[in-house]
Amino acid sequence: MGFDLGFFVQQFLTGLATASTLFLLAVGLSLIFGALGIVNFAHGSFYMLGAYLLFWVVRGNPEGLWWGMAVVAAIGLVLGALVERIFLRPVYPRPEHHQILLTYALLLVIEDGVKILFGSAYKSLGPPSALSMPVWILGAPFPAYYLVQILLAAAVAMLLWLLLKRTRVGLWIRAVTQDREMLEALGVPVPRLLTGVFALGIALAALGGAATLPMQTVSPGVAVEAVISAFIVVVVGGLGSIWGSLLGAFLIGEIQAFGVMIWPEFSIAFVYLLMAVVLLVRPFGLLGRPPAVRT
Amino acid sequence: MRVWLPALLVLLLLPLFLPRYPVEVLTQGFILALFASAFNLVFFQLGLLSFGHAAFFGVGAYTAALLVTKAGWPYLLTLPAAIVIAALFALGIGFFSVRTSRIYFTMLTLAFAQLLWAIVHKWYAFTGGDNGIPGIPVGGFAASATGLYYLALFLLGTGLYFLYRLDRSPFGYALRAVRDNEARAEAIGLSPFGLRLSGFVISGALAGAAGFLQVAWQRSAFPDFLYWTKSAEAIIAAILGGSAHLLGPTIGALAFVELGAFVQARTEYWPLVLGLVLLFLVLFFPRGLAGLSGRRDARG
Repeated sequence: MGFDLGFFVQQFLTGLATASTLFLLAVGLSLIFGALGIVNFAHGSFYMLGAYLLFWVVRGNPEGLWWGMAVVAAIGLVLGALVERIFLRPVYPRPEHHQILLTYALLLVIEDGVKILFGSAYKSLGPPSALSMPVWILGAPFPAYYLVQILLAAAVAMLLWLLLKRTRVGLWIRAVTQDREMLEALGVPVPRLLTGVFALGIALAALGGAATLPMQTVSPGVAVEAVISAFIVVVVGGLGSIWGSLLGAFLIGEIQAFGVMIWPEFSIAFVYLLMAVVLLVRPFGLLGRPPAVRT
Repeated sequence: MRVWLPALLVLLLLPLFLPRYPVEVLTQGFILALFASAFNLVFFQLGLLSFGHAAFFGVGAYTAALLVTKAGWPYLLTLPAAIVIAALFALGIGFFSVRTSRIYFTMLTLAFAQLLWAIVHKWYAFTGGDNGIPGIPVGGFAASATGLYYLALFLLGTGLYFLYRLDRSPFGYALRAVRDNEARAEAIGLSPFGLRLSGFVISGALAGAAGFLQVAWQRSAFPDFLYWTKSAEAIIAAILGGSAHLLGPTIGALAFVELGAFVQARTEYWPLVLGLVLLFLVLFFPRGLAGLSGRRDARG
């Protein structure tokens, strides 16, 4: 088999589309860990919930995708704020394993909650008619909707970067990962800030889940797989780092896309292998900072 | 001692009075209890939260299942092999993992376990892939529900007695010394890496024994045995029952399995009920969890 550039580009773009989904899913997890110090095992559940909410909001009509995604992100924001206020706030001072148990409990509740609300059958939604035809890139067909996913992730990455580097709230978010007490002493409303960060992270996960629905089916079981993928991305990229999530998502998306060509059955094993290697060589992730002493 | 001798007597006599189903449920409870106690050795004595213990449970199970189906070994004879192979995997994974600490240890053990799961899940030629290995012939006295009950009880009892002796041995003190103050432990001549690795390997071996039992209970082995939600079961059982106490994980595991059987007989939404119970306990009864009141948190 000769080297086929068109096929190579096709795989690369497929990997990029996977990476876009992974980024939306993982960046919130990373932000939440950075600011709140909590490993959110329920993160994949909100991603799965996002896909179900989109299906419910547009009532199975693919043409409603655009406004549907906006509504889902808004619901995610409200839901995230409520969950933080009600469940997470009481456990901040507790040992890590209490926090893990709590978010794991949320995972269980959401999984069955979705079964009760939406049924346990698979749900799917095609892409809107404008995007249903493939685009041809270097002679290889490519789903047009993948380009939308890639653009969406790129836009979110840019907006997040602007938020964190160019606004006062962004400055606070970066500061709260360093020293929560000092920030409180400076008069910043830290509890509200944490609510905001959690809500933002959940909204991004829900948006990420909604954005996959036109290409993939969703079932309640998606949640436990998604949260593991998100862990891998943030561990590879570096917990608490936005660019790390982007890099981690990119690497894992591409490894999956090309791993399938090299050794189809075990492509997923490459991903876990990458994670293990990164943890051994650079335990705090490729773009993460060595852990600072937290008080 | 005064409490548990009568308790042991009751457990020994129970199968004589109970129908088959409750005996099977209790057996499953013993298996999870052994698994959770194994996990707790790393969690409490080493102060490390492993999210990858399903790997050793699964390796023990698949060792037994493969030796029976492919090599024709009698089921009971696979126990030493299951323990040794699980210990070897724990040695390999532990060699890399115990150097790291806190959240990175958790993530690394999770990564290795998921790696094994991915292999078992896809390697159709050897492990049967996602179909698992069904219809495993279990001979000897483990073939009957009552026989398996006594086998599981015996292994759990032996495991707990071993952990009890370990807890009081110089080795146990050394483990906790490393947990509580690594620098000081090193200064008095202890080797933190060697101690952590030994603890991790022993824990893996015990988890392998639990996996061995699971094969007889289900007459099958499935990739789910290695999935991360299986590790979560051990964590829940250990923390709910109280990780600071030797019998804590056992009590937590029995409560977990009994509650599960009770709820599943009435509704398909067992995860929902479990989730609500966990939420309630974490939010309102933090001391009922973990027996934390008496426990110094080593990782805090």
